[in-house]
Amino acid sequence: MKLFATAARRRRGVLALGLAAGLVAVASGCSNSAAVSDKTSGVTINVVESAEAPPKAMLDQFTKQTGITVKWTNVDWDSLQTKITAAATAKTYFADVTDVDWSRVGQFAKLGWFYDMSDYVDVDKLKADLPQLNSFTADGKVVGLPGDAMFMVTTVNTKMFAEAGITKMPTTIDEYTQDLKTVKAKGVVQYPLNIPFAAAEGLSTYWYETTGAFGGSVLTDKDEPAFTSPDSAGYKAAEWMIQAVKDGLVSPGEINTTDSQGQQNLMATGKVASTFSDYAGNVGTLYNVKDTSTVTGQVKYIPTPTSGGEPKNLDNPDGMGIPVTAKYPKAAAKFIEWYTSAAVQEKFAGLGSADQLYSTFSLPAHLTAVEALANGDKLDQGATLKQMFQNSTAPIFPGGAPTWYSSLSKAVYTNLHAAAAGSETADQAIKKIASTAKQLASGS
Amino acid sequence: MTRALAEAHSERAGAPHAAGAPLARRRRRIDLLPYALVAPFALFVVLLAIVPAAWTIGLSFFHDAALDPPVRFAGFQNFITAFSSSSILQSSGNTVVYMVVGVVLSTIIGTAAALLLQTSFRGRSVVIAVLILPWALPGIVAGLIWVNVFDANTGLLNSVLTSLHVITDYRVWVGDNRLLTVFLIELVQVWQMVPLSALLILAALQNVPDELYEAARLDGCSGWALIRRISVPLARPGIAIAAVQSVVATLNIFDQPYALNGQADAGASLTMQTYFVSFQNLDFGQGYALALVIAVATVIVSFGVLKLVYRQVEY
Repeated sequence: MKLFATAARRRRGVLALGLAAGLVAVASGCSNSAAVSDKTSGVTINVVESAEAPPKAMLDQFTKQTGITVKWTNVDWDSLQTKITAAATAKTYFADVTDVDWSRVGQFAKLGWFYDMSDYVDVDKLKADLPQLNSFTADGKVVGLPGDAMFMVTTVNTKMFAEAGITKMPTTIDEYTQDLKTVKAKGVVQYPLNIPFAAAEGLSTYWYETTGAFGGSVLTDKDEPAFTSPDSAGYKAAEWMIQAVKDGLVSPGEINTTDSQGQQNLMATGKVASTFSDYAGNVGTLYNVKDTSTVTGQVKYIPTPTSGGEPKNLDNPDGMGIPVTAKYPKAAAKFIEWYTSAAVQEKFAGLGSADQLYSTFSLPAHLTAVEALANGDKLDQGATLKQMFQNSTAPIFPGGAPTWYSSLSKAVYTNLHAAAAGSETADQAIKKIASTAKQLASGS
Repeated sequence: MTRALAEAHSERAGAPHAAGAPLARRRRRIDLLPYALVAPFALFVVLLAIVPAAWTIGLSFFHDAALDPPVRFAGFQNFITAFSSSSILQSSGNTVVYMVVGVVLSTIIGTAAALLLQTSFRGRSVVIAVLILPWALPGIVAGLIWVNVFDANTGLLNSVLTSLHVITDYRVWVGDNRLLTVFLIELVQVWQMVPLSALLILAALQNVPDELYEAARLDGCSGWALIRRISVPLARPGIAIAAVQSVVATLNIFDQPYALNGQADAGASLTMQTYFVSFQNLDFGQGYALALVIAVATVIVSFGVLKLVYRQVEY
């Protein structure tokens, strides 16, 4: 009888345990909001970026100065964008600081997924020294601060050009195209031009930069397509890119080449002679690094060849922002202010001690920092980069990226990719992109 | 003591407590223990599968776009809009090809591999261990490995074929021709699925009693006839499960086309389009609709395959 009673009690215990487990599951599954704290000391913030962590010495220095500990997580860019969307939609905490890509600024501002940085930082004071701040502003909100100064530049393997007898660098698109044909004809390299035709964001960016070189922009001030006419810069740029494949200037294999590793490897291993739309800083961080390059000392930045106008280098920066689901927004703001400051970025880029060097860091976002690096001889072709950064960089969309940018970009890269693969003509590709853009702009 | 144990046992087994107990009391007594043990798992299934599924079904009939609030009833509009997109139609076609090629190849190769592994030979366990490796790899990793094989500029395939003088110039394998692209991408998935298919079919084959083979041999059956008349018919439950898991995997393919061919329409699957619509365009309503289409297609095709392949086997 006693045993019977014990069995009954045990049964009730198991039942209670089962229900408790269920309740815990329900509670943990449904709990999605974290308490927001104004604390700016003695807290740990989560920074989730698609980049390696900065040097430990620098993060330790920040912790010592502020009492804020930083837990840095490196997530690949695509996954991170999904995480940002999923967390914001589900109103769930995942980071105190995360990536703000210029292309999503319009979306983020409209949806209110990020805090307005002007509530935490005096952005007016920063404007003069941060030329790319405009790329992070939409609807009057500053969604993030630029974490580096990424902009598009033309790189040329001067040794290959010299082998083809070219010593004067091209300044116009026509000269540039002719020089590439000469490099090919002289047998220096089979496919001299690098265009990452994989169906990915990098192809869209390449087209925007080329459109800029042809003297125009992709969208009008009213966000309508400005590339439908055969006389327009966008149309000519697309035609030029596709023609380069047909003329054998670009390897047919580049339909699977991405703008990141694939494109850069081809340049770093001397398989191509030029990249029309490369990333500023690549000469120093990749092409002149013996471990990653067989062309050290050969690759130079040149002013972007144009169809006659002034050279233009389009901005392509990544920034840092605070998601509205952050636990410690004030502490996060302190970190962003520190990370994006000129003094810290100078050290990242090489003006500090060896343990402060951030080897994968491209270019400081501050003009003064780039100037200091150039003057201190710590930046490959620093004077050229500084001159471009100061005078010719411009946002891809002067009014900020439209909220529907992702859909536009997908139409751009899938259709230009299809044209390069030969399943569409350049004209068909442009018409399809235009049709998507018109539909998006009209809101239907 | 013995009696108490017996009482406890009969209680747990749900047997009547005592022969003379009133009927009403016996009916009221419900053993809660099994329910309690199952409750946490059941709760997880409800929360993580049934609730999201119901949510998906419901919201697929609503306009739910982050950039165009509020959420509102849309009837079949999400389905109509989705399937009027040429990209989604092309991806639907690609997905059908992925499924047909994948299910047929993985089932045939899996069956062949299982038949080979059924025979005992030296190093058989090592072969099985090695065979499992592709299956253990995440799809994206497998995709990235094969990127280096198919790469048009530096890929292994071009290098080997030019060395063997099969081709003279490097070729573009993935991305150029749509059918070839889809076929090669699916081959990568088949490479990953075959181990599981083979193991499922091997498990079914190992249940076949040796006496059946012996009897067949005595009747003059051998080689191919043994496979056709004994092995394959009796392994049908395993083959059916292998085919169904291939249906599920191929209809939901994402990693391999994404790694090998980026976001190009030429190789994109319906699952990829669901991701793009949901997470790039932020049109969750359309995303729910596409997810529902994939789920319904998976269920229907799986039942079709089961009906076609599965047969109850009794030894």
